[in-house]
Amino acid sequence: MTLDHAVWSMLQEALAIYRDSPRASSWLRSHAERFTEPVRVAVAGVQGIGKSTAVNALIGDAFSPLPEFTWYRNGSTAAAQVVCGPRASEVPVTRRGSRVTVDIGQWDKIDRVVVDWPSRSLRDVVLIDTPASATPEQIFGDADAVLYLMRHLRDNDLQFLRSAHDHPIARVAAVNTVGVLARADEIGGGRIDALSSAKQISRRLRRDVQVQPLCQNVVQLAGLIAVAARTLREDEFVALRALASLGREELEDYLLSADRFVGPSFPVDLEASARQGLLDRFGLFGVRLCCALIRQGFDTTVKLTGQLVQRSGLGELRDSIAIHFVERREVLKARTALLGLDVVLRMEPRPAAFRLMADLERAVASAHDFRELRLVAALQGGRTKLPTELEAEAMRLIGAEGTTSLARLGFDYDAPADEQREVLLDALARWQGQASDPHLAHDHRRAAQIVVRSCEGMLTHLG
Amino acid sequence: MAPPWLDVLDETIGACVTHRRPDLEARLREKRAQQMDPKLRVLVIGETKQGKSQLVNALINAPVCAVGDDVTTTVPTFVQHSETPSAALVRNASSRSKIMNAPTERVAVPIEQVTKQVSTTHSGELVRAEIGIPRALLTSGLVLIDTPGVGDTRSAHTASTFATMMQADAVLMVSDATGELTATELALLKQIMSACPNVTVVVTKIDLVPHWRTVVERNRSHLARAGIPAKLLPVSATLRLRAAKTNDQVLNTESGFPELLACLQRDIVASADLLARRAVSVVASSAISQLVTPLREELTAHDSRQTEATISTLQEAQRRVDELRRRSARWQNVLNDEMADLISDVEYDLRDRTRKILREVDRTFDDADPAHGWEQFEQWLEDNLNEAATTNFAWLMERADWVAEKVAKNFPVYREDILPGSVLPEDLLDPVGKLEKPKIEPFTITQKLFTGLRGSYGGVLMFGLVTSLAGMPLINVVSLGAGALFGGKTIKDEADTRLKRRQAAAKAAAQKHVDDFFMKFSKDIRDAGRHIQRSLRNHFATLAEELQETLLESARSAKRAVQDDASQREQRQREARRELDKLVTLYKRVQALGGTAAMELSA
Repeated sequence: MTLDHAVWSMLQEALAIYRDSPRASSWLRSHAERFTEPVRVAVAGVQGIGKSTAVNALIGDAFSPLPEFTWYRNGSTAAAQVVCGPRASEVPVTRRGSRVTVDIGQWDKIDRVVVDWPSRSLRDVVLIDTPASATPEQIFGDADAVLYLMRHLRDNDLQFLRSAHDHPIARVAAVNTVGVLARADEIGGGRIDALSSAKQISRRLRRDVQVQPLCQNVVQLAGLIAVAARTLREDEFVALRALASLGREELEDYLLSADRFVGPSFPVDLEASARQGLLDRFGLFGVRLCCALIRQGFDTTVKLTGQLVQRSGLGELRDSIAIHFVERREVLKARTALLGLDVVLRMEPRPAAFRLMADLERAVASAHDFRELRLVAALQGGRTKLPTELEAEAMRLIGAEGTTSLARLGFDYDAPADEQREVLLDALARWQGQASDPHLAHDHRRAAQIVVRSCEGMLTHLG
Repeated sequence: MAPPWLDVLDETIGACVTHRRPDLEARLREKRAQQMDPKLRVLVIGETKQGKSQLVNALINAPVCAVGDDVTTTVPTFVQHSETPSAALVRNASSRSKIMNAPTERVAVPIEQVTKQVSTTHSGELVRAEIGIPRALLTSGLVLIDTPGVGDTRSAHTASTFATMMQADAVLMVSDATGELTATELALLKQIMSACPNVTVVVTKIDLVPHWRTVVERNRSHLARAGIPAKLLPVSATLRLRAAKTNDQVLNTESGFPELLACLQRDIVASADLLARRAVSVVASSAISQLVTPLREELTAHDSRQTEATISTLQEAQRRVDELRRRSARWQNVLNDEMADLISDVEYDLRDRTRKILREVDRTFDDADPAHGWEQFEQWLEDNLNEAATTNFAWLMERADWVAEKVAKNFPVYREDILPGSVLPEDLLDPVGKLEKPKIEPFTITQKLFTGLRGSYGGVLMFGLVTSLAGMPLINVVSLGAGALFGGKTIKDEADTRLKRRQAAAKAAAQKHVDDFFMKFSKDIRDAGRHIQRSLRNHFATLAEELQETLLESARSAKRAVQDDASQREQRQREARRELDKLVTLYKRVQALGGTAAMELSA
């Protein structure tokens, strides 16, 4: 029985046991509902780090930020509602220019604002924009996975990330966080190569011993540029092209500071308000980058947008979400459901639920998905040691770089099934050898057994 | 140009010479030497990646501090004036395995290479970098100190950084315009304010942010709400460096640096001048009042011409000298007792703190295997020891101030300069050496094999002999099985023993390190305590001597007044009046120097 089936039947069983307790059953029902939804990804970070900007970049529309938990989910039409305890009331969504505003009106206390929005990006995830005042418990309680925005790794950031792994069940499956080096365009004072610097820093953080066990990946994001690229307007493009038509040296003085850029004397015929608009949307670095790109020959809207999206790091962020969250949906959902179930079993223990408790322990301890994740963590943290070349292969096979069979087998193209099977059988034989070699250390063989089990699972899928 | 306070001080010294008071003269001369060579430490602090190093570079227009996109500054850099550009790295002479009073060595490096050297040298060895550069800004004795970012997970936070902070004359707190002041930054500011009230918040990177004015406004209100009376200045280092390259005055003004420089000159250098003037004024006026007292007494003696009154004055003076001697013993006792208490308390506190840490270490290594996660443990231990040291040290300083006050209370008379200025020693708290990693013996396959064989031998033999009675050969299924069992057990036992041994080794290493730390730091603390005691004793002893000398002089002049005949008396009186007038004028000037309204000169 696969993990999600097991968890689903445990949830149903718990619902049957606790049907006389209204509090427990409503809690369980909400979890059962949640189990079938897309993955909920919360965007968290300190005040002013660019959480709403990151959410906008992912959705591809510029929403005005709200000071509440805001959920964005896929819907056939644009709609929004304010949820406040059991009540939910519709509120209007309006679009002004490129900006979308949700008018929530006046409320004493709001649980969350839910926005339905037709967008391809929201097909597999529900994005949650969190207010800066949200506690880690609130964030991790609502979300299945978290994008944590930080500027540079500071003690506070580590504290936040560690607090996510306090619960024992959370610890066995520490799979739900991707770190984002936000505001990458401001690194090094907005120099033109800021984004490649940001890439190097995020690479260093990814290998940092303190970060590895806490984040599955660290990527960089220049949120402002990503949003601007995804919502680039024709008039903005014309203005940018007019700027770029001037020589680099001539323009340089005016791009020195934000104040100079919007100052009264300007060599190009552009209204001060238009320049201010460009600055608000792109940032000074964005304007510099766009001018440089247009001069390099990316002089159509499509070419420019493509370059901006790629350079802003949005592509990598989306890939990370796909690999680490969407592909692992079952595990993440199972993890959330088990955490929820654990709460009920602890708060209202009763004899009928003892067997369920044992089942839960067994699921946590023995589910192969969790075992894989534990091995990933052990290899990353250095608790289990394998020779370097074997370690890389093991990490890949147990799904650290993606859980599809192509990613596990290390194909970078869409290989046909028999080619995959050939590679897989080869790997299987090698790891079976490792698993049964008595000369090897115990934890080495244990690791090999888990890899073998993963290979066997893939083999049944390949048919 | 000599500052105005210097003339006044020199005149006062001259007056002391004319009135034959070498004790006062020596004291004033000492003060003069102290004020002539001021070192103003301006600490540049803030969270990581706010542009601290770039700010220092832009202030002096030279790339002397390493700047980079990732965390760059890991050790403090001291920038001060020198005639020719020079640079030096200060590092631990032998990087490892030395513990007590690690000698540091200064290595001169070419100034062009210092930034590279700082960022490449392993941070554990480097203590600080020192830069000398000819700049008008620095000639007044300004020392700019660039520090590693607060809250960074990689730089070494040592107790010496804390000690530097406590001794700073002014602080530039750097926060960039891309975000408002955070709660942690405000907390840091409050902490600094308690140690050094002269704080300026510098908002950097205003070239990059379109709405920096809003950020500045909001920062102002944050500061006001938190009750921090710090000034706030927006600047852009990028603009300033570019302005310097192209010699563009307009751009320079836009960068906001002229204002910052003016603020440094006006507030910090000028406030240092004000401090110097106040200090000089206090010392000089106390000296003059002591010169005036005997003159006054002589004059009154002449005026009244009442011998009896004069004699009673004489007796009174004598009585007061005796009284002073008696009370001297009291303040000395208070000082000795309090300092002894203080040192023993502080040492006990330190011991208590280190013991708690050690107990935690023991608990940890009862279960954990030191072969894994030794680095994290090392970091943890280092952090905890540093925290213990800084808290302990701060406590010492607080108590020292309190002792000074208590002694002052027991001092026979009250004077303006009764409380000493600073009682702290200059250089404190060198870092302790690194924790040595205990030897971790891995249990290799061959060793396991050998141990297993050794264990299985007994089993095979034992059971083989028994079964051979039943007619089976020595090597048979039963004996081999027993051998395997015995072998397995021996391997497991051996692995356990090794783990125990590793844990014991780790505990011993930690114990040794904490001991070393305690030895070194308690010595530092005791030295600091003794230093404080000595300077307090000197301070109060000088005060007492002066007081005594003044009283004796009054007594002497009273005696003279009784003995002198009329004509001499006339002349002396005229002289005394003239002298007194001179001193009163001088006193008025001294008072004006201190910025306080001229007080009535009382005898």
